[in-house]
Amino acid sequence: MAALSEEVLLVVKRVRQRKQDGTLYLMAERIAWGPEGKDRFTVSHLYADIRCQKISPDGKAKIQLQLVLHTGESTNLHFSNESTALKDRDAAKDLLQQLLPKFKKRANKELEEKNRMLQEDPVLFQLYKDLVVCQVISAEEFWANRLSINNVDHSLSNNKQEVGISAAFLADIRPQTDGCNGLRYNLTSDIIESIFRTYPAVKQKYGENVPHNLTEKEFWTRFFQSHYFHRDRINTGLQDIFSECAKLDEKGLKSMVFQGVKNPMVDLLSLEDKSLEEGYGSNSTAPSTSNTNKTVKENSNSAIIKRFNHHSTMVLAALTLCMALCTIIMCFLSKMSCHFYVIEYEDLHRENGKKTVALNLKKSDRYSHGPVPLLPQQYTTSQDIVNSVNCIKHEIASYKPCLTQVMSSSTASSAIAALSPGGVLMQALAQQAINQMVPNDVQEEMKHLYTAAGELLRHFWSCFPVNTPFLEEKLTGHLEDMFQMAYNKFHAWQTRRMMRKT
Amino acid sequence: MKLNIEGLLVYFPYDYIYPEQYSYMLELKRTLDAKGHGVLEMPSGTGKTISLLSLIVAYQREYPLEVTKLIYCSRTVPEIEKVVEELRKLMEFYSKETGEKNNILALALSSRKNLCVHPEVSSLRFGKEVDGKCHSLTASYIRAQRHSNPSLPSCRFYEEFDAMGKQVPLPAGVYNLDDLKDFGRRKGWCPYYLARYSILHANIIVYSYHYLLDPKIADLVSKELSKKSVVVFDEAHNIDNVCIDSMSVNITRRTLDRSQANVETLQNTILKIKETDAAKLKEEYRRLVEGLKEANVARETDIYMSNPVLPDEILQEAVPGSIRTAEHFVGFMKRFLEYLKARLRIHHVVQESAPQFLKDIFEKVCIDRKPLRFCAERLRSLLRTLEIADIADFSAITLISNFATLVSTYSKGFTIIIEPFEDRTPTIANPVLHFSCMDPSIAIKPVFERFQSVIITSGTLSPLDIYPRILDFRPVTVASFTMTLARTCLCPLVVGRGNDQVAMTSKFETREDFAVIRNYGNLLLEISAIVPDGIVAFFTSYTYMENIVASWYEQGILENVQRNKLIFIETPDAAETSMALEKYQEACENGRGAILLSVARGKVSEGIDFVHHFGRAVIMFGVPYVYTQSRILKARLEYLRDQFQIRENDFLTFDAMRHAAQCVGRAIRGKTDYGLMIFADKRYARADKRGKLPRWIQEHLTDGSLNLTIDETVQLSKHFLRQMAQPFKQEDQLGLSLLTLEQLQSEDMLQKIAQIAHQA
Repeated sequence: MAALSEEVLLVVKRVRQRKQDGTLYLMAERIAWGPEGKDRFTVSHLYADIRCQKISPDGKAKIQLQLVLHTGESTNLHFSNESTALKDRDAAKDLLQQLLPKFKKRANKELEEKNRMLQEDPVLFQLYKDLVVCQVISAEEFWANRLSINNVDHSLSNNKQEVGISAAFLADIRPQTDGCNGLRYNLTSDIIESIFRTYPAVKQKYGENVPHNLTEKEFWTRFFQSHYFHRDRINTGLQDIFSECAKLDEKGLKSMVFQGVKNPMVDLLSLEDKSLEEGYGSNSTAPSTSNTNKTVKENSNSAIIKRFNHHSTMVLAALTLCMALCTIIMCFLSKMSCHFYVIEYEDLHRENGKKTVALNLKKSDRYSHGPVPLLPQQYTTSQDIVNSVNCIKHEIASYKPCLTQVMSSSTASSAIAALSPGGVLMQALAQQAINQMVPNDVQEEMKHLYTAAGELLRHFWSCFPVNTPFLEEKLTGHLEDMFQMAYNKFHAWQTRRMMRKT
Repeated sequence: MKLNIEGLLVYFPYDYIYPEQYSYMLELKRTLDAKGHGVLEMPSGTGKTISLLSLIVAYQREYPLEVTKLIYCSRTVPEIEKVVEELRKLMEFYSKETGEKNNILALALSSRKNLCVHPEVSSLRFGKEVDGKCHSLTASYIRAQRHSNPSLPSCRFYEEFDAMGKQVPLPAGVYNLDDLKDFGRRKGWCPYYLARYSILHANIIVYSYHYLLDPKIADLVSKELSKKSVVVFDEAHNIDNVCIDSMSVNITRRTLDRSQANVETLQNTILKIKETDAAKLKEEYRRLVEGLKEANVARETDIYMSNPVLPDEILQEAVPGSIRTAEHFVGFMKRFLEYLKARLRIHHVVQESAPQFLKDIFEKVCIDRKPLRFCAERLRSLLRTLEIADIADFSAITLISNFATLVSTYSKGFTIIIEPFEDRTPTIANPVLHFSCMDPSIAIKPVFERFQSVIITSGTLSPLDIYPRILDFRPVTVASFTMTLARTCLCPLVVGRGNDQVAMTSKFETREDFAVIRNYGNLLLEISAIVPDGIVAFFTSYTYMENIVASWYEQGILENVQRNKLIFIETPDAAETSMALEKYQEACENGRGAILLSVARGKVSEGIDFVHHFGRAVIMFGVPYVYTQSRILKARLEYLRDQFQIRENDFLTFDAMRHAAQCVGRAIRGKTDYGLMIFADKRYARADKRGKLPRWIQEHLTDGSLNLTIDETVQLSKHFLRQMAQPFKQEDQLGLSLLTLEQLQSEDMLQKIAQIAHQA
């Protein structure tokens, strides 16, 4: 049995396929079915190849599961064990449901990517046809070093615009009562992402705890139970893993506050020129703000306010790119220009016909990264030029031809003749005509053979240095065959051409 | 353009002018001609500052002997810098038009913290520290000591300035704080002292209120300013509170403890000096016998502005014998401190007048009124004699001595309230003695008396007649100007009910009502869905905001609001609020949109503008009445009633409405700007409230926009916003709210302009 080493996750007996009874195996990487009494699989699909599964409606007499492949083929499985058919099917379905998405993403992406590459690049497509379709090399080998090259720029080109965070993402997980004394929180991967981006401290906790101490579910349950999520609760239990998060947040907020603000127009601290000294003033409520005589309620209220500010700040900060731009702009609008900006009454000015032009960015990344320092270049100043001209003039003035070492006139003229079009040395030019001489289709075929051979050679050379047994095997084993095959192919083509010519 | 304002040639550095600016200048000119004081209200964003500057500078050039100086007082540092920039623009225009170089010197003055260039001192974070450190490097006796001991640290900037800076006056030009610092660095002179020295001969000074109104600072800085100056108080809607604050004193147990420590230090220092340098103390004694004649001479010859803490009678007399020697004075202060301590050991609230207090102190510890009056002056002399480096450490004892002088000088206008604990926490003893000023005219009186013209101006001064009454002066001009508009860019709405018809109000009885809070929340939610970019919401007080935010959170309203916009909330901590503000602006800037929840009377409502997209709507939740249960306020109301015949309710409403107007006015900062002004309280619809709003808001508050429900508000707002979002060009304004010189000169336009000013 081929699958001896594979882990079998589920075995379902009495499954019919094409009216044949058999057994269904769900393994770690594939699903397989073998007819009864035989020890081989007649049906075997990698999960990666399966696009989706379909099941028959509940009321139907036949209880079936259909697997649809990416290629469009499908396999029907009929669960025929009367008593447990439905259960069997559901078990298989549930397991598949869990397994498929894991493979799906990877498979789909790769497939799509390959497809895209082939469509975009006709040369590659031709090469694929020459090598893979003609089975000179296998598809995996063909893609093996191509995808890795492409993955790099793939990630570059796929640098998607970062999406901001909805400020109300916590509102979206409003608990719903599930009817039996419990609460259900709807958590999607988007929301988790938002939580992580807004509260890096939670992400850190997640990283610290989740695989080892808690399951993912437990983690989120605790999150929802913690005061941290319920912002109005302040009493922090020590064993609560999120109490530290709150402290971290507080710290972050404090440091941000300490940094102060860049825009002097909103800096309330430096707004007042001369504050009253301590003890003067009519309503000095300063001593009353001490925490001791605040009620718990007031404390929790101010905690809410603090956390709202923090939340909004973090949501805003999640738009990092935008942030960077804003800070740059803020810097530009430094102190002086700020005031200038404020005192302008634009409508009191005569419009000077200065039409503003929309910014048209060719390279947006250059715009956001700022100007690149000029590479050191050698400039010739006008002084240099003048100097060199003078120098040459000087040289020319003092130039004396050395008449003893010149060529005889006859050799000179023959050299010129040889270099002129039609001359001996220029006869290579006649080869240009091969373009016209050889018919287009032949050229095309020639080109294909050439690229195919080139590709094979690339494979060949990429095996050096031979430092793994696999490479050695590749080199001695099938590469040789491949060359042979390619050579045969070329030979066949050549003879065909010869035949046609004669 | 060049204007002709009743025969005065005024250079105006723009090509166009708003009609109200012209009208404003007319009134201003008449005030200056009459050499009197004026109260002028004009909406913010109509170019008040440039109108003021253009006219007064022109007046100064035309009549250099009549008006020698312009003292422009504003409230915040950014505002001060703004004024200087506008002035610079005007000066550039002058030199462009006339072709000659300006010989006008204009400069801004601010505290050491904003002007210091000393590398170590300027790196300190708080103004007080900077002052203290600067003093420890530059005080006269420290510099004298340095002659014998050159190793003592010094400030080279001050030394340079002292050696060279006073010989040549600061070259003519316009200097903001940074210019002064640059100049100081270049020359190696201290910019702060340079500025303080230069204001004496500068033509235009821009600084903060405190330099004129706070007697402690005014005495140092502004005492010698020329009588023929024009003083402008911009953004003056809160000027009465500034006056009151500068004259009020609070004494806690901590103050007394620190004073006690101060007194002991003094005593020790005196003992030490007695052993080493008894001659110094004798010299001081001799000086005190002669009295404060010098100051008296100066004041009589009209060189000094009088200081309310240093009343005239003191100047004519010698310091009384009982506190003349240093030891006696220290003993005197000890007794006074013990008396105050005893007074703070009480269990019930005491309220008494200054004469009652003096009677009591005489009976209990035999302290007379006369020596008390000299306390502040005597202490200053002592500190000078003892050569104490860090004055900042003696702030407590200085406070006590100032209190002594004030309480014995003024029998009227002040009240003493001793509270054993705070009202909210009756179990925790925290006795405070409030010596609170109830009459703002005391602090501002010297200003009105000394300077020939004082202009009080702001965007919100309504009702206009109340300011002359509470500040006790007689203006020659009182006028309110409206904003001429080509399109109604402000949309005041009074929301009185929720969709469930429950009245919306922050009235004390119903403010905790669940329905009211929910309706307020719904209003915010609905508005947040339709208004683009920034929304600012103001609450009546900080505690009220905390409560509402908490219940909105519980009700899930805030989370729904967050679907539309980010939320930022003002906190009592200024640094935190600054950050929230910055983030708020950032969120408005990048298109996310945000809501700022803030507090009327807070720092945000007073000092931050929300131009254009930073504030497309302002919601005023409730009427921002001051906390009426405070005893200080009650005393003040009583005083206002008895002295000025202002009824309590009138004053409270006036105070609430000026703050409401301040809040909603934050959103409109010009004619191209636009914004919703939502008054969310049914009481705004009443005539007595509505009538106290500034005229430029009242005009647009039609009967159709009173007592709306939330739905109606949303409908009206949508309509308004859609209209406003249309492109608005200069041509649309031209001839209506924006004039060229030709248009200005036409007959019927001048007639129209005459109607803009509304004389009270």
